[in-house]
Amino acid sequence: MKFIINREEILLPLQQIVSVIEKRQTMPILSNVLMVIEGDQLTLTGTDLEIQIIAKINIATADPGSITVPARKFLDICRLLPNGAEIKFELQDDKVKIASSRSRFSLSCLPADNYPEFAESELENHLFINAGKFKKALDKTVFCMANQDVRYYLNGLLLNVSNSKLKLVASDGHRLSIYEDNLDQPTGFESRIILPRKGVLELSRLLDDPEAELKVEFSSNNIRIFIKNLIFSAKLVDSKYPDFGKVFQQEFFNQIHIQKQFLKEALTRVAILANEKFKGVTFDISPGSLKMSTHNPEHDEAEEELVIEYTGEPLTIAFNAQYLLDAVSNLDSELAVLTIASNASSCFIDEPGDCGYKFIVMPMRL
Amino acid sequence: MRIRSLPTQLVNQIAAGEVVERPSSVVKELVENCFDAGASQISIEIEQGGARLIKIRDNGCGIIKDDLPLALSRHATSKIASLKDLEQVVSMGFRGEALPSISSVSRLTLISRISDADCAWKVVADGSEQDFDPQPDPHPPGTTIDVRDLFYNTPARRKFLKTEKTEYVHIETLIKRMALSRFDIGFTLSHNQKEMLNLKPAATETEREQRIAGICGTAFIENSIKIDFAASGLQLTGWVGLPTFSRSQQDMQFFYVNGRLVRDKLVSHAVKQAYQDVLFHGRHPVFVLYLTLDPALVDVNAHPAKLEVRFREGRLVHDFLFSALHRSLADLRPGHGIIQQSATESPPQTQVVQNVGWQNDSATQQSTPGFDNKPVYSLRPPLPLHVEETVQAYASLYPKPEPVAQVQPEAKPLGHAIAHLHNIYILSETAAGIILVDAHAAHERVTYERLKQQYQNGAVPSQPLLLPIKIKVSAAEADLAEQEQAFFTSLGFELNRAGPETIVLRSIPALLGNTDMETLIRDVLADMAEHGMSRRIQEKSNEILATVACHGSVRAHRRLTIDEMNALLRDMEQTERIGQCNHGRPTWIELSTGDLDKFFLRGQ
Ligand SMILES: Nc1ncnc2c1ncn2[C@@H]1O[C@H](COP(=O)(O)OP(=O)(O)O)[C@@H](O)[C@H]1O
Ligand SMILES: [Mg+2]
Repeated sequence: MKFIINREEILLPLQQIVSVIEKRQTMPILSNVLMVIEGDQLTLTGTDLEIQIIAKINIATADPGSITVPARKFLDICRLLPNGAEIKFELQDDKVKIASSRSRFSLSCLPADNYPEFAESELENHLFINAGKFKKALDKTVFCMANQDVRYYLNGLLLNVSNSKLKLVASDGHRLSIYEDNLDQPTGFESRIILPRKGVLELSRLLDDPEAELKVEFSSNNIRIFIKNLIFSAKLVDSKYPDFGKVFQQEFFNQIHIQKQFLKEALTRVAILANEKFKGVTFDISPGSLKMSTHNPEHDEAEEELVIEYTGEPLTIAFNAQYLLDAVSNLDSELAVLTIASNASSCFIDEPGDCGYKFIVMPMRL
Repeated sequence: MRIRSLPTQLVNQIAAGEVVERPSSVVKELVENCFDAGASQISIEIEQGGARLIKIRDNGCGIIKDDLPLALSRHATSKIASLKDLEQVVSMGFRGEALPSISSVSRLTLISRISDADCAWKVVADGSEQDFDPQPDPHPPGTTIDVRDLFYNTPARRKFLKTEKTEYVHIETLIKRMALSRFDIGFTLSHNQKEMLNLKPAATETEREQRIAGICGTAFIENSIKIDFAASGLQLTGWVGLPTFSRSQQDMQFFYVNGRLVRDKLVSHAVKQAYQDVLFHGRHPVFVLYLTLDPALVDVNAHPAKLEVRFREGRLVHDFLFSALHRSLADLRPGHGIIQQSATESPPQTQVVQNVGWQNDSATQQSTPGFDNKPVYSLRPPLPLHVEETVQAYASLYPKPEPVAQVQPEAKPLGHAIAHLHNIYILSETAAGIILVDAHAAHERVTYERLKQQYQNGAVPSQPLLLPIKIKVSAAEADLAEQEQAFFTSLGFELNRAGPETIVLRSIPALLGNTDMETLIRDVLADMAEHGMSRRIQEKSNEILATVACHGSVRAHRRLTIDEMNALLRDMEQTERIGQCNHGRPTWIELSTGDLDKFFLRGQ
């Protein structure tokens, strides 16, 4: 097995693959990247057994063959070679020789036969979507996913396809984010799947070209997404996503409009003196004015007052400042719209007008 | 087969199956009888681990000649006469089962004499409860029971006996435990004609402590505090080990209810909770504790060998034990005469009067006359000399502290800081000697106790859940959850019943944001079902506050000024449980001038 490649052609795919490979491994071969040459194509594969990324690169001079090499070391070598360097890769006995200009490396490797197969069932559903659109959907939701919750289905993202409608939902049980959009082509099916947290985060990193068209295929166990020269696959979370519909079936107070930037800054300042574990901040809302206040166990106190647009009854509600900040920071508009349920049991945050997404934050009882 | 009555001997053998498990169970029953007979001296002779001979003699009240056959008959007892008696029994025995059972599985001889009889009478029994033929005997007032060839006629049982050594160790352990319940009685124990224990009756406090030291080791007495609490008709006395003097096993835990050694789940749960906040992970506390209460409030007839009891007011007893122990651990402060030592784990002494044995090693290093006569320093190994040198070296780096002690009118228990050794330990001079403080560990405890107080004093902030958590439980647990609504609400939970076997958690305490709620609630309900209360939620909150405290405390290696150190020492004096950091490590140790004098052989 032998090939010559320009550093610029292999570096990015290699970086994308290495990011799924876990640093500490009990199975040594999982720290390796699988490299296969068939015809004039080099295929790189990395996996943690839950997620797999495959990159295909066209190549001019090559002898076929396959091998696995330590991914991080190989990446570091390529990364630290000068821009535009020509890299020669050759398998000799049980070593891989890498040469470029005056640099020589000899890497120990493991045979490709032992590389674990990524078992995939038949993927009966498929759809097409623009990468920019999908990336936005992820950006608006991922921050609400739970991390290491015992309710493992919360450590993921709900993807709901209903003919030509797409809905993404994430929640850690305290807050929720929901994103809705239309697909260009109707799919003719209805399905709900849960993507695992790590897979979602990796996927979002791969969607760097907003113009790309994605082909998404999935079954109830697996998902595979074609992104230009990459193929991303993941095992799905095998569970039902909880029913969150009840939050919407409530009465609400009038909308509150606030300058997003002012709200963020005031909230950040007030939070300095909130309890460091749960950051509780109280909102006293009355027509035209929002007063935020907090105090901590050391009896330090903070207060801020903001001008808002609100007509209606005065109300008092408290939040974990961090949850509110996360939500507000993910708005695209200058103006934040807060809509509070009339029994003060939840708060919806979105933009003025129709924006396709909504964040819901539960209040706190201080 | 037709139904028929079993022969008496067989009935007794069946009963023996419950009461007489191994030689030590025989010893237990017989020694209990001596207690009940008002003996002040008991001698126990064992041969071949008890399999060949168990001979127990007392100087108690004895048995009248005519009662001898009754003593050896089933369901005959002098200790109770009615159900009313049973419900408030104060004697160790009351079942009238031991002697007939034992006699049915061994060759038993009973010799007894009441004090004003002319002579003693001797009978031999085999469990058939007939053909008693009392013979005169010169035995002094009191009773001797001689049990030979245990299980000779029940070979299946005999096969289950362990080695002679193991069986003997069981007996010795038992005698030690029983000896701790009756300081007024003298005990001798011999094995194969060799004296193994000789415990004199202990009338004074010092003698009692000597007996404890003999059984639990000297280190136990040095590292424990004496407690005496009484409330709502309950009294708890005894000795509890300092949290730093813990063990990897639960082998030094003695709990007596009205003089009866018991193993009780309720008791161990209360003790564990009391130590929860101060014990190093995975360690077990040591204690010798006596609970005294109205005999009517405890059912001792819960177990054939009387090893378990049932409290009629379980919750009351649990709360009392917990708060008594919790208070005494919280109150461990400097100036109470409690000298802290590092966690030495010396095995309990098996021989009662025994030399500690380390003097010999030191004697080879040093040959100062008179050195080997007296133990210099109890059980602790001698301090390596370089510590003292370091202390001096550091001390010389600082201007001699102005005569602080004289300027300050009031002597502070933790004294006045002199130096921050290695940027870790505070060296402080006290009226009684010197103290070394681990600054990080001490500050951590100070911060932790403060956080706990702040948290407990404020209203508990609660976080409603967007996705309520449904928990499947048993109907009984769901009932319990409903009954205890007020308890859950006070801690920041909102918990409703959603079906016969389902509860729904709608709000949780904001502090516990990322905890596994389902498991926590299940565990709390299990605790409540079993012990009537649960402190798990508080413990969980405390865990989180402890990590906050750990991050918020001065790190080792940051040099503190004298003022900062003195401020910390003053804070420590005000703080509960200051003897240990949040992880159960000791925070300070004291060397008294006496220790120092001995160390330098002054005045010897
Ligand atoms: N060492 C002893 N000294 C005096 N009386 C004894 C002694 N051992 C047994 N007895 C008498 O024998 C009776 C039967 O003893 P036991 O079978 O152990 O039953 P219990 O102790 O439950 O009454 C006792 O009630 C007591 O009157
Ligand atoms: Mg008895």
